[in-house]
Amino acid sequence: MTASGSEPSQTPLASAAPAPKPAAKPAAKPAAKPLPEPVFNQRAGRLIRDTRYWPTELWKDPWASQSYRRGAAWLAGIILGIFATGWAVGELAPWGDRIYEAIVSFVSARGWPAVVGEAIWIVIKALIVLHVILINGLWAIWWERKISAHIQSRVGPTYAGGFHGWAQTILDGIKLLLKEDVTPTAADKWVHALAPAIVVVPVIIAFAPVSFGVELSAANLDVGVLYIFALAGISVIGIVMAGWASGNKYSLLGGLRASAQLVSYELPRAFSVVPVLMFAGSLNLQIIAQAQSGYWWGVVPRWFLFYPVVGQVAFAIFLIASIAETNRTPFDIPEAESELVSGFHTEYSGMKWSIFFLAEYGYVLLASFLLAAFFLGGGAAPLPWLSAIPSWIWMLSKALFMMFVFLWVRWTFPRFRADQLMDFNWKFLLPWSFANIALAGAYLLWI
Amino acid sequence: MTGYFAKVFDHTWAIMKGMWITLKYMLRPSVTVHYPTEKLVPFEKFRGALLFDAETCISCNLCVKACPSTCIQLENATNPQTGKKIAKVDWYTIDYGKCNFCRLCEEACPTKPKSVWHSLDYEVLFFSRDEMVRCWKAGTPFTGKYWDRKEKAFKDPLGQISIQDVPARR
Amino acid sequence: MSNDTALAAQEPKTLKTDTLFVNLGPQHPSTHGVLRVGLTIDGEMITKAVPDIGYLHRGTQKLAEVRGYHHCVVLTDRWDYVSAMPNNLVFCLAAEKLMGLKVPPRADALRVVMCELNRLASHLLFFGTYGIDIGAFTPFLYAFREREMILDLFEMVCGARLTYNYIRLGGVMVDVTPEWLAKTKEFLDYFKPRLDEYDTLLSFNPIFMARTQEVGLISAEKAVNWGLSGPNLRGSGVNYDVRKNDPYSGYEHYDFDVPLGKTGSCWDRYYCRVQEMRQSVRILEQALAMLPHGEVSATGVAKVPKPPSGESYAHVEGSRGDLGIFLVSDGQASPYRMHVKAPSFLNLAILQEILVGNKVSDVIAILGSVDIVLGEVDR
Repeated sequence: MTASGSEPSQTPLASAAPAPKPAAKPAAKPAAKPLPEPVFNQRAGRLIRDTRYWPTELWKDPWASQSYRRGAAWLAGIILGIFATGWAVGELAPWGDRIYEAIVSFVSARGWPAVVGEAIWIVIKALIVLHVILINGLWAIWWERKISAHIQSRVGPTYAGGFHGWAQTILDGIKLLLKEDVTPTAADKWVHALAPAIVVVPVIIAFAPVSFGVELSAANLDVGVLYIFALAGISVIGIVMAGWASGNKYSLLGGLRASAQLVSYELPRAFSVVPVLMFAGSLNLQIIAQAQSGYWWGVVPRWFLFYPVVGQVAFAIFLIASIAETNRTPFDIPEAESELVSGFHTEYSGMKWSIFFLAEYGYVLLASFLLAAFFLGGGAAPLPWLSAIPSWIWMLSKALFMMFVFLWVRWTFPRFRADQLMDFNWKFLLPWSFANIALAGAYLLWI
Repeated sequence: MTGYFAKVFDHTWAIMKGMWITLKYMLRPSVTVHYPTEKLVPFEKFRGALLFDAETCISCNLCVKACPSTCIQLENATNPQTGKKIAKVDWYTIDYGKCNFCRLCEEACPTKPKSVWHSLDYEVLFFSRDEMVRCWKAGTPFTGKYWDRKEKAFKDPLGQISIQDVPARR
Repeated sequence: MSNDTALAAQEPKTLKTDTLFVNLGPQHPSTHGVLRVGLTIDGEMITKAVPDIGYLHRGTQKLAEVRGYHHCVVLTDRWDYVSAMPNNLVFCLAAEKLMGLKVPPRADALRVVMCELNRLASHLLFFGTYGIDIGAFTPFLYAFREREMILDLFEMVCGARLTYNYIRLGGVMVDVTPEWLAKTKEFLDYFKPRLDEYDTLLSFNPIFMARTQEVGLISAEKAVNWGLSGPNLRGSGVNYDVRKNDPYSGYEHYDFDVPLGKTGSCWDRYYCRVQEMRQSVRILEQALAMLPHGEVSATGVAKVPKPPSGESYAHVEGSRGDLGIFLVSDGQASPYRMHVKAPSFLNLAILQEILVGNKVSDVIAILGSVDIVLGEVDR
């Protein structure tokens, strides 16, 4: 903090000694110099920007600004870097096989029973999946902030970590860990504490059959799709518990809304996938992804999204229902910041509150991976000549693109009302998902 | 039936257009000013914190009368020989807690340049209530001093960060 | 108590249901200030709504009785703090009537320019916050991006961004510069296409329309009976605009339309404001094109005005409606009585009727569409 006006005087005011003369007397009005870039002001110890830029000036020629060019170069560099890394690393599945073989040989060399090796391998896989979700929380929140900021002509976090505020979520996480964990007096303490766990556990175990690439999933379940939908349905119990146990009227309303909404949207979400299952003939995510490999006429990928009519309808319904399942903006009525002050998690603080967020972003990632696996061909390259890049990079980029769509939708639209939400579900999405199944049946029969 | 499909199409189209607008703005440069590290210099007429120059003041009381919230007080200086009032200010105070930042005092000031005027400083904060009352005597800097009641001494205000070295003055 | 238990005993032994009392505000994100609405809800349905005001009372009406006329202009800035120019203007019009001052034409034109710019700023704030109320966050930031430019213009001309004190007795504070006029033209050129984007982004968004179009209906008769004014009245289809019906400051010279709603729904009130922004741009373009030359302040404005005894009433079309002021002078240096007819206060009253029977989500939509500023409600 600098002293102000003129130099801080050491002489007391009352003394007769001549006080320091105030800076230049009638000083002519300083000429306003238009400064193109911020300059460092020695006195204030800060950057001072002398002119304020209106959007009219900023948007006239964005490529003229150095920071814009730099940002674009960074973005292009990051994307190319990821693809180059993927190309260098190659498929991950063989690496996994090598590690598994190493474990098995290690265990057999020691003379331990083979089940020990299996157990170690399962623990490693479980830890990897767990970390996918935890790191996803960090990454997704940062991304949500940056995307929403740029959509709104802002910049989002910039300082923490140096590069575009990448460490902001980590610091926020530390802050949340250190925060006091408040349980309201009116709360039902056990239920209040249990609710976040019930919300977050299903999303973690639902990731088991998710395929992250060709032959790359923690558990190759034959009922994978069913398993994921079944587990995802459990979280609603946690949300209702959170709403009820908080002892807050707004939370109660949020919990009630959540129960109605989540249970309803399960139906079109599940039914919209039925055409995919019919075409692929399996509930196994790996097989569904494989069924979409190959190209029509050598260019158009055989992704389910590109099946005429039936693919697009199923994709749209599944996307909409997934957004509703994750309580995000057009369907965020259980949270509804401007109505219910945050709904079911109003009374949560500290780590309990952040667990709700972890679960929300976990569901977003889950839905993104499912969208990529069901409709975007899983690990298949969009163009034949790009198949040198391994499947896990494609899977990841498709999932991240779908995550971007989630954010994009969230920051564009207003919110439904509870009854309109129900109308939309039961009178629009559900009938069309049935019709879509019939259409898919017709395709299979006659084409 | 066609009406139903037309409605579905219209709504989808409207939603797509909305998403196009947000995408368009996402790719444009942001308008943010990174405030604590980049500070805007306000426009020349900005009404920031009041400054006072005891040298030029003629102690005419016009600013006191012009102030709508009676936050200015002053006392005429007296000639030490004759004991008569002279056109100089002995002390002058402004209560920033009451100040409306309305520029009526500056407009009322008859001297040239103005003896009391709005600087461009918009970052003025007060660490104690005492700091809100600034006072000036002959030779005090433009930003004034405040009377610390605990330590019984005049002190320099700490919370005023000047935006320009030379305050804009008309 | 005994009565209640007796009643409860008579009730059939079924699942006990009860209404819920919810305090909406004064610290709620969507009450736009410190309004408290006591809601009695049955499930999600409102059965009773009681708006409770007074959290922002500063007593400016009483304060004016001990302040000079020049000083009162400063007080007016604090009523409707998001559109302070019409407040300044209405006080000056009333006081000038008392004093018999003649305002020069350039000052009149500048007053119109400033009031219309401020209407834009105020309606932009409404647009943004209404988007947030309905759940869309992005329009808020877009609206503030544009509003920031208007505030820059105000800062350029008078030095303040919110409490302007620009319109003074007998004229305006200071003349505008050619650079300012160029900047304003630049802003208007930038702003016109933005309005179309707002329409695409929010006004004609199907979700937004579904949320607002059949909610909070106010019939024309009810609107008049409750004393609504401004866009809330025009949203119900009543063609009443002080700028047209009782022109002041030379509004009769400008060519503009009064946008009207049809059903008086939230969407109509909202869209009236969006259309008013278009009309304000029209007025501004005309005013800037035909800005007369000359003085900006009347001669002979006393330093301490003491108008002759009498009373005067002036009203203007503020951003929120028919803003009126009643001044009584007893020949002293300060008004004997100042009464403000604040549009927000009157618009707020209808809430208790139209909220009933709606859902909790609709309460926010209706509250936002009425567009109150608590500084003006409580004064």
